[in-house]
Amino acid sequence: MPVRVVDTATPSSQPSSGQDANAVQPSPPSCSLLTAGRCFAGTQNVSSLQKDEAWKVNVRIHGCDMEQGYLCGTMEALNVPLADTPVVTFWEGEIVDAKNYTFFTGKWEASAEDDVRHWSKFSSFTPLLSQIEADGGKSVDLSNYPFIFMRWKEQYFVNVGVDCGLTIAGFYYVCFSCSDGSISGFYYDPNSSPFQKLELKCTNEKQSGFTFSSYELQ
Amino acid sequence: MPATASGGARAEEAASTPSDSSSAPFCMGTRPEELAARLTAGGPGGVSGPGGGGGRGEGGEGEHERVLALREIKNQIIGNRTKKLLYLRLGAVPAVVAALAEPGASPTVLVQAAAAAGSFACGVDDGARAVLAAGAVGHLTRLLAHPDDKVVDACARALRMIYQSKQAPMLDVNNEKNMDFLLSLLDSENENVTELAANIISYSCDDNTEQLALCGAGVPQKLVSLFGGSMNLRDACLESMTAVIRNNWEVASRFASMDHGKAFRSIVGLMHDRSPRTRLLACLCLIALGHASPCHFPDRQIKTKLILVLLELIEEPGHVGDEAPLALTTLIKDSVELQKQAFSTNAVAKLSNHLLANTLETRRAVTILLALAELCSKQEESRSQLMSGQVSTLILDALKHDCADIRVAACSCLKNISRSSKVLSAGRLSCDTVIAPLVQLLYDSSTSVQIAALGAICNIAVNLTPRKSVLLHSGVVSQLVHLSKSMDPALRLKSVLALRNIMFLMKPKDKDLILKELTVSTLSSLICDSEHSVQEQTLALVQNLLDGYVDSVNYVIGEDGMVINAISRQLNSASATGVCIQGMLVLANMAAGDELNKEAVMDVTVPHRADRMKPSFVVNFLQSKDKQLRVATLWCILNLIYPNSDSSSTRVARFQNAGVISQVKNMINDPCLDCKLRVRMVLEHCLDNAVSGFM
Repeated sequence: MPVRVVDTATPSSQPSSGQDANAVQPSPPSCSLLTAGRCFAGTQNVSSLQKDEAWKVNVRIHGCDMEQGYLCGTMEALNVPLADTPVVTFWEGEIVDAKNYTFFTGKWEASAEDDVRHWSKFSSFTPLLSQIEADGGKSVDLSNYPFIFMRWKEQYFVNVGVDCGLTIAGFYYVCFSCSDGSISGFYYDPNSSPFQKLELKCTNEKQSGFTFSSYELQ
Repeated sequence: MPATASGGARAEEAASTPSDSSSAPFCMGTRPEELAARLTAGGPGGVSGPGGGGGRGEGGEGEHERVLALREIKNQIIGNRTKKLLYLRLGAVPAVVAALAEPGASPTVLVQAAAAAGSFACGVDDGARAVLAAGAVGHLTRLLAHPDDKVVDACARALRMIYQSKQAPMLDVNNEKNMDFLLSLLDSENENVTELAANIISYSCDDNTEQLALCGAGVPQKLVSLFGGSMNLRDACLESMTAVIRNNWEVASRFASMDHGKAFRSIVGLMHDRSPRTRLLACLCLIALGHASPCHFPDRQIKTKLILVLLELIEEPGHVGDEAPLALTTLIKDSVELQKQAFSTNAVAKLSNHLLANTLETRRAVTILLALAELCSKQEESRSQLMSGQVSTLILDALKHDCADIRVAACSCLKNISRSSKVLSAGRLSCDTVIAPLVQLLYDSSTSVQIAALGAICNIAVNLTPRKSVLLHSGVVSQLVHLSKSMDPALRLKSVLALRNIMFLMKPKDKDLILKELTVSTLSSLICDSEHSVQEQTLALVQNLLDGYVDSVNYVIGEDGMVINAISRQLNSASATGVCIQGMLVLANMAAGDELNKEAVMDVTVPHRADRMKPSFVVNFLQSKDKQLRVATLWCILNLIYPNSDSSSTRVARFQNAGVISQVKNMINDPCLDCKLRVRMVLEHCLDNAVSGFM
């Protein structure tokens, strides 16, 4: 979700240094609640010292490839003060699997300390912390862990121009619960308010149960 | 369209015998009818002179005339398909071959007859058939032992031309005598003969046992030892080596370690040969080696060199330049790593530039488009570069090209560019300039073009943009519905898959439009299609129909329950796993609706019937080895007992009686985390429904 521009920060384009593509690790579990087409709804807290504020947010997953540690989707912010309409952004995600991506971001102006500080905000990360500190997380087996950790990086505005007064320079540290499909996240951008919290729940769209849809690419 | 690249065959040898340029003397006519008649009339023993009496000896008049007739026929037919067919009709071939069979025939006659026989077999299937039917192979093979080198050369060349034809018989190398014969040819000091041996191996080596037999007999070593010979011999040996290695791990690994890797290095060295054809053949041999035994070909540098050499070869004229992109396609196929390497060597730009800069003859355009398609099959960067360049316009033009192979290749490009949720989200392909020509190709007279177009449409059909779907209003739905009733299973499958993808996340109003075209009757027929894959895609289509559109359940349970009955039949008949998974997801989506929907699903999963002996398929599915089927079944159960209500309690009780709940309890430690979590949810709901007494 875009946030207000505080400073014109440019995302770092330095190559990822935190990834170890050669480490052989089983992928995180595939979860039937984290699939293309699935919708999530909730809020992002954008409070500052001056004002308490939360924006309503909808997220839709467009694609998910656990093998490549990749997912993408759109994020819609509904009551953005500066915008006339809901603002939609397209984002791409990295799934932390110790194979394609580790807990260390290695780009986007996030240091290892920033990473640990943000991941540690998730209680589900606590049992993993010692292993991360010991070997950078290379030996962490997430294949049977009921939480999936991700980074979501907004790539572009879908329905407004770049001059809309909002920025998507930062990225989200995300924790997905495989049990109920709830999502927690923290937005990170050195030039924005720290620890803006994202909270989303898997939506049933007024149905008495969970529904499924899918597509298949050729 | 070719499946793999090949080195290609050499052109018919125009100057294969001495004195070819000399024409028949004035006393002998050059009309085909006359020549054929003279040759045929002479029969064994040769052409009779005007004065009668067949000449048999070297230098006799009859002998001389026969040589002239054979030479004239040969000179007329070389490179001339029309003349070959004319002489075939005139029955010249048996007479030509008869000259080879004649005991005591002079070397001059034999040379001319062999050259003519070879030429008849070259490039014309009927000619090859006639030459083979006349027994030429046996005679020519026998004559390889002739004391006159010119005869041996001519016979070896003729046999090579025969073995270029698909009509030629395969030599069974598992037969000891044949193997000895082949080895004797390879040991010959005559390069024409060794080249023939290499050609026979390329032609006859068809399966694993033959490859192993050739390897066991030391053929790879012999072939490598011949690399030092003429360019033609070297090329033939490279082709032969590729045939011996292809798809055979054992032979490939033995070859890779042969002579401490010296043989392997010699082929790597040939990648830089002066001859473009040799470079291409060396690349093809290394590609075959890499595919057969990847562990013996880990060198990243060599792979990069391969890519660079092949990209250079694209600039070569003729066959080599045509085939180089196809070799590149074969090399990078299914390999993310190699596609990345190719991208980093600027392959997309080089191929695109070549396509843009040349008035390309058909074959070249096809192979370049296929290579570009392969580069985009897994690489987001390649897709992006291809879409942003001028070549994207050319690809769209290629969809309208007269040549079907080009249309197919252009569709492959668009299919692979659109094989990306990122590209689809950007919506750049969901425009009329892309969709209109693709939809037009669904009416193409060629089935392969229709299938290729469907491939691209299947992907572009996934509308992930907020914009209104251009595709839906392009008239595509009617044609997809039409093709879903085709006799061709591939057309049925792809058209249903396209409809499924169009249906994904679509608005209810648009779903209604599609259903109106498709009809419930067709839907239920497709669920019971003879092909499992079609059944599976149709059920996925129904799943997408129901998702987010509760009222669409009327299509499923309405019209005397045609659709739900078809689904029930498939699930009860323990169909293919994929069919069962999609069937259970359809039921799960139905079960997320109101009480009526839930009860309809209950009647399928746990029917009220007298026959209590047969366990519900739900129990079998929960015991399946396939975790996706277990998960889908658990979601269906969950939705049926959610939310808590009196009816839910009743359904829990029915599941309990049918043995479903006890099976769910057995799965509390399911190895699949997703299953385990859904099991917990089911059991929690059972408890919430206050039916713990049943458990």
